[in-house]
Amino acid sequence: MSRRETVNHLMMMVIAFLLLLMLPEYLNVYHRSFVMFTMMYVVLASSWNIISGFTGYVSFGHVLFYGVGSYASAILVADHGWHWLATLPISMMVGLAFAIVIGFPVLRLKGPYFAIATLAASEGTRVLVTVWDDLTHGGLGISLPNVENSMETYYAMLVLMFVTIGTCYWVAHSRFGVRLNAIREDEVAAEGLGINTTLYKMTAFGLSAIFPAMAGAIQANKTLYIDPETEFFVLVTITMKLMAMFGGKGTVIGPIIGAVVLYSIQEYVWVTFPHAHLIAFGVFLILVARFMPRGLVGHAIDQGWWRKGMVH
Amino acid sequence: MEKAEIRSIYMLSGFLVGAFSLPFVVGVMTGYVIFDLRWLYDLITIILSGLMQGGVYAMFAVGLTLIFGVMRIINVAHGELVMLGAYLTWVLFNAPGFFGINVYVDPLLTMVITLPVVFVFGLTVQKLLLNAVVGGPELTPLLITFGLGISLINIVEWIFTTDYHTVAYAPHSVQLTDQIQISANKVISFAMAFVISMGVYMFLKLHRLGKAIRATAQNADVAMVCGIDIKRIYVITFALGASLAAAGGVLVSIQFAFNPETGLEYTIVAFAIIILGGRGNYIGALLGALMLGVLENLVSFMVPNGTAMVEIAAYALMIFVLLIRPRGLMGMKEG
Repeated sequence: MSRRETVNHLMMMVIAFLLLLMLPEYLNVYHRSFVMFTMMYVVLASSWNIISGFTGYVSFGHVLFYGVGSYASAILVADHGWHWLATLPISMMVGLAFAIVIGFPVLRLKGPYFAIATLAASEGTRVLVTVWDDLTHGGLGISLPNVENSMETYYAMLVLMFVTIGTCYWVAHSRFGVRLNAIREDEVAAEGLGINTTLYKMTAFGLSAIFPAMAGAIQANKTLYIDPETEFFVLVTITMKLMAMFGGKGTVIGPIIGAVVLYSIQEYVWVTFPHAHLIAFGVFLILVARFMPRGLVGHAIDQGWWRKGMVH
Repeated sequence: MEKAEIRSIYMLSGFLVGAFSLPFVVGVMTGYVIFDLRWLYDLITIILSGLMQGGVYAMFAVGLTLIFGVMRIINVAHGELVMLGAYLTWVLFNAPGFFGINVYVDPLLTMVITLPVVFVFGLTVQKLLLNAVVGGPELTPLLITFGLGISLINIVEWIFTTDYHTVAYAPHSVQLTDQIQISANKVISFAMAFVISMGVYMFLKLHRLGKAIRATAQNADVAMVCGIDIKRIYVITFALGASLAAAGGVLVSIQFAFNPETGLEYTIVAFAIIILGGRGNYIGALLGALMLGVLENLVSFMVPNGTAMVEIAAYALMIFVLLIRPRGLMGMKEG
């Protein structure tokens, strides 16, 4: 990766940022929230990619961080009267705390066992949130004070998305990322080379937890109502996983492409046929896992349509 | 045995003793436990019904462990197969009613149709989707079965909506003594579960095909060299596991209310069991199922807000056993 390419990528990001910054002026509320949720899924898919694409620990429970982030924010806004922007750092801390508590035991497991354990962790947290109704209002959910903040949440999500993409870009191009790749390819060998695998895995897990937590917080303040069933919905995990896999996991641009393409299709299909959308979703997951495990970007690289350095 | 091996056995047994006494400790602290004769009878009832519930869990855990043992595939759609079995039973149970005939079909009799249907479904899934990915990266089958699970949930939801259904069968209860009584549904399903799991066990031990399945589980390459068509064994194993899950579904349907989304819970329960019992081990799965059944009933009996906490018991059990002793009670060694 030459210096010139890095500068080019940076330019591209700045142009995209400016375009998205000016965009909401010209959109109605529906389209604005559509773009916002697309950006949210870019954040979710990219951060799932940090632990699962770069490091190879495929998480089936990432909705956990999204859920606890949104709950932390909603509780502070609804019950303690905070301004919603001030809750974002708290949500981040809560996400990080959960990542440490859960990651410490669970990251010792490998492959499918890690996947199942994270799934169990997210389902367990959902039950805890439902049961602990003094703090979380239980299954009733939390209603936030009604305000029009589609502009503010849009800009917050925009900034968060670029921070996430920037972090992924840094991970992909730094020594840190190379070491994560080494862990993915062969953990024992990586350890033999003197990489502190536990520390690196924990850092990657923490990084991939804080962004969904903040995305969840912004989403809670956008939709103004949350409950355990929707915030800890298994389907959110699957959506981010599918987006990252469809685009190409282990690359920076893959999850972005995957999220934009799939969310647009999903929104269209969902409006047209509510049930078929989820059935098609499952079928699509099967097809991607079976025939295109490396995703669009990986496929393009394999076919020689795209140079490897360009997309990484 | 190595030292680490022995230590992990001690740690696991210590953990299990702790896990089983935790509900008692919490119960004493919150005042749910009162030491009198009435409470003691209740406790015995709870333990008995826990064992019976464990029998039902055994049905789907055994299917999952069989599939894992032979193909090293984790079938995440297992709970959905349970759900499918429950729905098929419900449909057949009410089938005469749809034609205006006021009779119900005996749920146990519906197995004659339910099990073959799910068997064929399992055959198809394995042939079309999974045979190509056995032995490849471990996560591909996980994702494929996950996708299958989502599709199944939503197809069922499309047809039957998300309403809860029950199959009203044998509502009376069995009096063991004056104080101890258990609902007849539980006794019947436990007996059924016992018969089916013993039948499958005998099949695996004695029948030629069963022996071939065990040989493939032990070493697929050697089995292939010995002239066993392992692709065929894979297909049969998956179909057998799926129909065991469906049998579990039949037994679930007469005891609990179910809706399309209950499947995930059963998937995780089945995992917790096979991890506790040891992955790929038949007897381990039976034992683990009984233990989890008892533990869940103890939790729901003695812990405040217990019915919701039951799920957490299964999740915590699974994660801790994976950490302390990934082989579980009687599983084979990894690697």
